[in-house]
Amino acid sequence: MNIDWLDAFLISGLFQVAMVTGLALLLHLQLGLARIANFGVVGFWGIGMYVFGVLYVKVDWPFGDPWQFLASAAIATFVAGVAGLLIGWLISDLNTDGVLVGTLGFATAVQILATTEDDFTGGALGMGGLDFPFDIGRVKDNEFLWLVIMVAVVAAILLYVWRVHRSPYGRLLIAVGGNEPLVRSLGKSTFRAKLWLFVVGSAGMGLLGAMNGVMVHYLDVGNVGVGVTLAAMVGLVLGGTARVWGGVVGVILTVGLFDIVVQSYLPLPEEWYSQAIPVLREAAFGLTLMLVLLFRPLGLLGDMRRDKLMGRIHGR
Amino acid sequence: MSDPAAPVSLQVEGLRSGYHGVTVLKGLDFAVGDEIFAVLGANGAGKSTLLATLARLIPLMAGAIRFQGEDVSRLPPYETAGRGVGYVPQEKGTFPDLTVLENLRIGGMIGRRSRDDRMAEVFELFPDLRALQAQPAGTLSGGESRMVACGRALMQDPKVLLLDEPTAGLSPLYVDMFFEKIREIHETRGVAIVLAEQNATKTLQVADRVMVLSLGEAFAVMDAAELTTQQLKEGYRI
Ligand SMILES: Nc1ncnc2c1ncn2[C@@H]1O[C@H](COP(=O)(O)OP(=O)(O)OP(=O)(O)O)[C@@H](O)[C@H]1O
Ligand SMILES: [Mg+2]
Repeated sequence: MNIDWLDAFLISGLFQVAMVTGLALLLHLQLGLARIANFGVVGFWGIGMYVFGVLYVKVDWPFGDPWQFLASAAIATFVAGVAGLLIGWLISDLNTDGVLVGTLGFATAVQILATTEDDFTGGALGMGGLDFPFDIGRVKDNEFLWLVIMVAVVAAILLYVWRVHRSPYGRLLIAVGGNEPLVRSLGKSTFRAKLWLFVVGSAGMGLLGAMNGVMVHYLDVGNVGVGVTLAAMVGLVLGGTARVWGGVVGVILTVGLFDIVVQSYLPLPEEWYSQAIPVLREAAFGLTLMLVLLFRPLGLLGDMRRDKLMGRIHGR
Repeated sequence: MSDPAAPVSLQVEGLRSGYHGVTVLKGLDFAVGDEIFAVLGANGAGKSTLLATLARLIPLMAGAIRFQGEDVSRLPPYETAGRGVGYVPQEKGTFPDLTVLENLRIGGMIGRRSRDDRMAEVFELFPDLRALQAQPAGTLSGGESRMVACGRALMQDPKVLLLDEPTAGLSPLYVDMFFEKIREIHETRGVAIVLAEQNATKTLQVADRVMVLSLGEAFAVMDAAELTTQQLKEGYRI
């Protein structure tokens, strides 16, 4: 396939869009259905990325790629899932404020650990040595293939989310989000449903983090800041937290617009790229969030429509 | 109607409960058999607190709740529900984003009997719900949403149904209808009912026995037919 029209910027921009879409989709189940505001997205994502990086680079595996990658990524996903289990358990009885502080604190702890445990993580200096588990030729070809794999993973997440909406489990999550006290008197423990929500969500975020590590080749503690959470959150809120496609639409309009259109096609001064652009990006996202909450709090796609969904499923 | 030989379903002994150290219920003793047991009392008397405590949503400060002989005082609410205690709160008795049908389905998560059978029974009891199946519960009128809340609790196949002011704020037509339904639920399904109410006249017409709560204490527990206006007034006065 001829991919000459794709430049490195565009590939990495598209990769960001796909990855943040994946995060937004997972966040949608927590925030949009169960109304649990997880502000620790970057924590789970970062755990996945760092656990993967350390395993991939520092462990003397008895086999090479792709097994080395698969083993490291599987363990990283698992560890992120376990972190989700712990955090989900800790916050299961907390109110909205408690959840916010708890998840934000967790994400901060992950960043601090990544900085201080520099024997493992390279600390503030960063850690290199991550590479694609394949080599099909030019750098660009490898990056493009990795982008395709990322899109496939995100499509799988989308399918999962789509199915949750149609399942009794999804209904239970919506019930938790809409009237938690009442759910407790329904006769089934919601604790397990909420834990599962966090385990699956966090594991998915961890996998996306590991895949991001491969794409950027270099782990830098600056990458595990609040920007990742913000991007997923803003995209989701703009598109509509309660809708399956909310995260997809929103992230394309935010990350897509900023990371691809603004960064690649606007004639911005060269010296902006290292310093000003990340700051501009966070400012733009913050502003978007405020505007959406002020003028269209339910997002572009609007509120949950179970009546329509049920009508489609049951043919009424 | 009341059957004195029937086993006691709920037994409450020295029950104290409330919120954050504030004691609302100051030691209640009563038993509910196979009957409609009414709880009357002025605003703030503690009726909702009592029902929520029985549903295990508010922890006990002292005393015990026994359900069919078993001490359920420390059980989490979902386990109490699993044993057969259905609860319809005074407000917010539905899941607003879910459709009426889904509200009923989620009530039927537990229980052994076929869910379709139970659903059919609920629609038989509240035929109005049939046409509303696909509507989100958050968009229903007050009366409709009470029916959904009640139907949802019935989907759990409860042995005792705790109803917290099911008719508050409803038009007279709905009020009469609801009281009839309550009696129907009790008589045709053998569900014991604990009914918290403000509407004393109507309540005394359907209830077998009544407890008048006054500032968290049982002012009187007696046969509904024997409660005098004088007693009622005294119970409500403070
Ligand atoms: N969540 C709460 N926190 C603190 N105090 C509460 C809470 N809920 C109720 N109370 C207090 O407990 C007392 C009893 O309230 P409760 O709701 O049980 O009364 P009620 O008999 O149901 O009244 P009404 O007929 O108005 O519904 C009141 O004094 C009320 O102020
Ligand atoms: Mg009340």
